[in-house]
Amino acid sequence: MAKILIPTPLRQYTDKQDSVELTGASVGEVLGALTTKFPDLRKQLFNDEGKLRSFVNVYLNDEDIRYLKKDATPVAASDTLSIVPSIAGGSGDPPVSLSNDEILRYSRHLIMPEVGMEGQLRLKSASVLLVGTGGLGAPLGMYLAAAGVGRIGLVDYDVVDFTNLHRQVIHGTKDVGRKKLDSASDTIADINPNVKIDRHDVLLTSENAMEICANYDLIIDGTDNFPTRYLVNDVSVLLKKPNVYGSIFRFEGQATVFAFPGGPCYRCLYPEPPPPGLVPSCAEGGVLGILPGVIGLIQATEAVKLILGVGETLVGRLVLYDALAMRFRELKLRRNPECPVCGDHPTITKPIDYEQFCGLPRHGGPAVAQASAGDIDPVDVKKMMDHGDKFLLLDVREPHEYLICSIAGAKLIPLGEIEKRVNELDTATEIVAHCKSGVRSAKAVDKLKALGFRKVRNMKGGIIAWSDKVDPSVPKY
Amino acid sequence: MAVQSRTATMRERTGGKRMIKIDPQAWDVMVAHAEAKFPNECCGAMIGKIDGTEKQVTSAEPMENAYAGEQGARYELRPEDLLEADRRARAAGLDLIGIFHSHPDCDAYFSKTDLENSCPWYSFVVLSVKGGKFDHAASFLPNPDQTAAEKEELIWPKS
Repeated sequence: MAKILIPTPLRQYTDKQDSVELTGASVGEVLGALTTKFPDLRKQLFNDEGKLRSFVNVYLNDEDIRYLKKDATPVAASDTLSIVPSIAGGSGDPPVSLSNDEILRYSRHLIMPEVGMEGQLRLKSASVLLVGTGGLGAPLGMYLAAAGVGRIGLVDYDVVDFTNLHRQVIHGTKDVGRKKLDSASDTIADINPNVKIDRHDVLLTSENAMEICANYDLIIDGTDNFPTRYLVNDVSVLLKKPNVYGSIFRFEGQATVFAFPGGPCYRCLYPEPPPPGLVPSCAEGGVLGILPGVIGLIQATEAVKLILGVGETLVGRLVLYDALAMRFRELKLRRNPECPVCGDHPTITKPIDYEQFCGLPRHGGPAVAQASAGDIDPVDVKKMMDHGDKFLLLDVREPHEYLICSIAGAKLIPLGEIEKRVNELDTATEIVAHCKSGVRSAKAVDKLKALGFRKVRNMKGGIIAWSDKVDPSVPKY
Repeated sequence: MAVQSRTATMRERTGGKRMIKIDPQAWDVMVAHAEAKFPNECCGAMIGKIDGTEKQVTSAEPMENAYAGEQGARYELRPEDLLEADRRARAAGLDLIGIFHSHPDCDAYFSKTDLENSCPWYSFVVLSVKGGKFDHAASFLPNPDQTAAEKEELIWPKS
């Protein structure tokens, strides 16, 4: 019979005995016999998975069984087993509390039992990283700050532009030309000065993402491009941090929670990115200004629920929102066991080169579509006009864009109608194609070349560059 | 993610009021140890008796801070030292009932680090030492999951 010494506070579970004699060939067997005899002791010593709790050490006479044969350590009848806790600590990380001003500020939260003081302290202890302070980041930053999230990290290196203002409500007209980080920080500090703001004035890259994201409880994806979206996803999975996802285009949006333990990730839904240029960005396809408000606040709602630990989150569900029909639909998502990052045998164990993965050149380089075409600068197009050269300026934008602005003398054939209306064009005449920014006209050049046209070039930068370099009276949109 | 566990704290709130009383000779040892180790954190064990919801500390044993790094805001107890203290207490017919440590130039709160590295079986007395002199103290009872700690009434001999 081996003897087990019972620590004082545990004797309430052993009929007040300070030591117990039990039979067993190994430490595991003796502990098993102990918790069989005193079932209430089990919860004190073992966690839900049946493993010894992290602070529990077992000593055989004077030796820690971890340095012997652990559970299999043989026990003789003359041996004594002791249960000794690991104890440490330190004054860092003081506990959070609310000041009287904060109690007043959050009173409508505090009176709901689902939030209450504990929930509000959870919010205050929480840290959230917003990747992007644009359309989605704007409502996210403002409402999460107002709700009392203690620390908000902002990642953005961009500058506020007039075209941002119809949806990015965290920035105002006075902020045009300022760094988005500056104007977003000012708005957040005005809404709630208790929020600690971390400024990350960088582009999130494979090199810096792990280090930046590691300091937050939650990652919120407010990005508008595929390389960053895959980067945010992979880093969230690798760091085991939920990724609150949202995306918007024209009148439609999506939202879900990725990378929650056991749940799917973005790669389970979209293993491969679309070919470059196939899915237009908001700058190319437009977006209803109100739309990011709806999707951003779905993301903010999920973030708050994850922090509070209440409700049913969007883990495993993709919400699809159609503003025109005013309809929400839902798709079930499952984790893919074959997923290269969150699957059972992951092959991606650190961030990769996402521009290459998405078929794009490294950030800052020219776009693929433009590089493939024979480019001509708007200034040179103007010289050809002034010189009286005979050529056709072909506008491949949509009719409603043509109504916003156009270049005098240009012929409008939308990109999608080129094949159908090719008989309107002459292979002998030199053609310069343009669109808004140069992406669609590069495709038009490729199409025309495939149809046998030789003398076609793409006006670099589109009508925006024309406005910048040639004729500022043409409005930019 | 966050520090509070609502089920545990709610259960504890409904429990009886618990208190820990420290005898003068034990208290003097604790304060002297905390002041001597300033500006580092000190640690040690408290020995005594438990009677229902009341604990009485009759002696204190200073222990070495075994934390390997900078000790200004960290402490660690060696399990072997605790095992020895427990044996001596048993031999004297007493019990190991608590752990004490100091917070140099900080208040006597129970930090996240304290909570996550504690254990639910003992009282944790924290002594605030400011500028090398004892300032105030508090006692805490961590919950079984170490996600929250309840404050315990602490009575020490006021000089």
